[in-house]
Amino acid sequence: MPIQYYIALSVCLFCIGIVGVLTRRNVIIIFMCIELMLNSVNLLLVAFSKMYNAPAFAANPASTVGIDGQLFVFFIMVVAAAEVSVGLAIIVMMYRNTHSIDVNFLNRLKN
Amino acid sequence: MGVTSILFWSLSALALISAIMVLATKNPVHSVLWLIVVFFAISGHYILLNAQFLAIVNLIVYAGAIMVLFLFVIMLMNLNTATEPKKNLWMKLAGIISGGSLFLILISVVRSSVDMSQKSALVKDGNIGLIDTLGKVLFNEYTIPFEISSILFLSAMVGAVVIGKKN
Amino acid sequence: MNAIILSAVWGVIMMFSSILFKNKGAFKYIAAIGLIVLTVANIANTYGCDFFNINTHEMLRYTRFGLFFNTIAFLCTLIYVLLSGKEIEKHGNYVAEYYALIFFVLCGVSILTSFNNLLMLFLGIEILSIPLYILTGSDKRNLKGNEAALKYFLMGSFSTGLMLMGIALIYGGTGSFQIDVVRSATLFGTFSGISFLEVAGLLFMLVAMAFKVSAAPFHFWTPDVYDGAPTVFTSFMATVVKAAAFIAFIKLFEVRIADTSAVINWGMLLSLLIIATLLIGNITAVFQQSVKRMLAYSSIAQAGFMLFAVFSLNDFAKEGLILYAVAYSLATIGSFAILAKMKDITFEGFNGLAKSHPVLAATNTIFLLSLAGIPLTAGFFAKYYMLASVVKTGHYLWLVILGVLFAAVSVYYYFRVIQAMYFKEGDAQAEDVTPGFKIGLIIVAALIILVGIYPQVVLNWLYF
Repeated sequence: MPIQYYIALSVCLFCIGIVGVLTRRNVIIIFMCIELMLNSVNLLLVAFSKMYNAPAFAANPASTVGIDGQLFVFFIMVVAAAEVSVGLAIIVMMYRNTHSIDVNFLNRLKN
Repeated sequence: MGVTSILFWSLSALALISAIMVLATKNPVHSVLWLIVVFFAISGHYILLNAQFLAIVNLIVYAGAIMVLFLFVIMLMNLNTATEPKKNLWMKLAGIISGGSLFLILISVVRSSVDMSQKSALVKDGNIGLIDTLGKVLFNEYTIPFEISSILFLSAMVGAVVIGKKN
Repeated sequence: MNAIILSAVWGVIMMFSSILFKNKGAFKYIAAIGLIVLTVANIANTYGCDFFNINTHEMLRYTRFGLFFNTIAFLCTLIYVLLSGKEIEKHGNYVAEYYALIFFVLCGVSILTSFNNLLMLFLGIEILSIPLYILTGSDKRNLKGNEAALKYFLMGSFSTGLMLMGIALIYGGTGSFQIDVVRSATLFGTFSGISFLEVAGLLFMLVAMAFKVSAAPFHFWTPDVYDGAPTVFTSFMATVVKAAAFIAFIKLFEVRIADTSAVINWGMLLSLLIIATLLIGNITAVFQQSVKRMLAYSSIAQAGFMLFAVFSLNDFAKEGLILYAVAYSLATIGSFAILAKMKDITFEGFNGLAKSHPVLAATNTIFLLSLAGIPLTAGFFAKYYMLASVVKTGHYLWLVILGVLFAAVSVYYYFRVIQAMYFKEGDAQAEDVTPGFKIGLIIVAALIILVGIYPQVVLNWLYF
């Protein structure tokens, strides 16, 4: 598969995520859109890792060129899991106090 | 058109459509379910690229753990009905326009980077995505970041307890 | 390696100490001991004595600059803990955990000062940020604090997403995560060996780092977060953490800007960023009614000055950034420590402070003068080095004039506080302060004046 298809696909997913962050007001959906952005990055990294592996694999099947990209994905997943646990704790804390999951809840309280 | 390209295009279409549905649905529970579909499509791409370990981990961690956490919080707050306040239409339009222009810029970057046009990703083959190769590199060259990520988990754990516990 | 490992270990020790000690006051001293241990270990590391001989596979690389910044960060945190420890104890029952989180943040700081791989940059930024989200939201009943934590978290993870996209594109363009990547100069279809993807990735990284250091136009979360967070933690966020983010910024772009300058005009881009940051920070700070919010906006303006270092990237810039970190951290820690003792944090609340608490008013004056960059205080030399670094590059000299102009604007809003303290009638209400707190403030003020007269006491350590 040409690498440009993969780049275009993950850029597309990334931009859908950004549009979601900018247009929705529900905190949980914003947070899910951020997860979507991270996933598109993961896909891009795996595709690049296979792109760098392709010539090396042809020369030597045991070569590990390009494995860095896949290991980076591993660490992104680790960090995403940690972030989700903290983020959902913050959302629950907020919901306990305000019974709202609107991003601009304080502005709304002022009005 | 071989089997690989049919799989590639159908998985890509599935991923894009369900990503748009994540934004378009009003009900947060439906959003979560569509996002899980996106994760499955991306896992399919990983299998196509022969990154088997990541494909499984992606399902276990994202679809299995993170999304269940999301669903759990949504159920806990009883948000399964659409109660989202309306956002200003102009703000929405501005968000869509800025996201769209970023997309156009990035696509033009991809198209104009000539060094990429010759290259392709190795599909269905290669063994860097297999668990023994990944594991060897992870525990040899990547030991330091592996250990350091444990500090990250520790701080997230302390934080979730500090924030989540009632006084 | 000393600083990274020991700060993580001491964070764990802090967590366990909450089982052993029931008295809240004890944690402050355990943390202080930990910080002294960290400082000593880090100085040992600076002079070639690394306790842990670990092969990092070139993912971490220790430089004198980074290690020296570690020492400064630990000493500033020590001063912060000793001055504001009492305030931390007021925020609920998790005092030991807060200190543990502060130690984890310091671990992130010491990763960011020594990373040589984009993976370590990413992990360092996350270890720095996640504890801060929690410290911001530590006042659970306070709605403003909740909103601040939520905003900080969403903005933080959004900028993480942008940074990861940048890292992925850089990887696509160069095939490596190392900072000092070796490119093949004859790469097909690229502009002098630079892939377009790498440039796009670097732009993403620029935006993400601008988010982290709160440079305009990516600053909009800063006032709300700094205002909503408990004052003690704001003071930590605005000083040590921000300076560390700048060190990471400069380390990342030091190599890459020189490499890619054939493709993209970084000077223009960064000077636009600097102008926007100085303009928005200074002008909005003038119109604030609350001193805390004014300090939040002024911290955006100070970030604009620190960006000069990223712009010029020479020896002067590095010296200046170290000096700026010292001057700005000391002054901000001191002035937030006083702010935390005030009953009313609007400008009116400071009316007549000189009569009721002469020591607080006098030391606060020195801190604010240093922030404004008045001669004989540390802030003057910090700003001077920053501007001199731009002069030394020989381009964009109009930036220097703009910098001086905005420094003059900043004098106005800092002097409003001084004017309120000395020349307005009123009964400023402050909590009772212990003699130890006053002595601490006087020591910090003396340090600021010392650095203001002999900046070499700090800078010489960079070379010897």
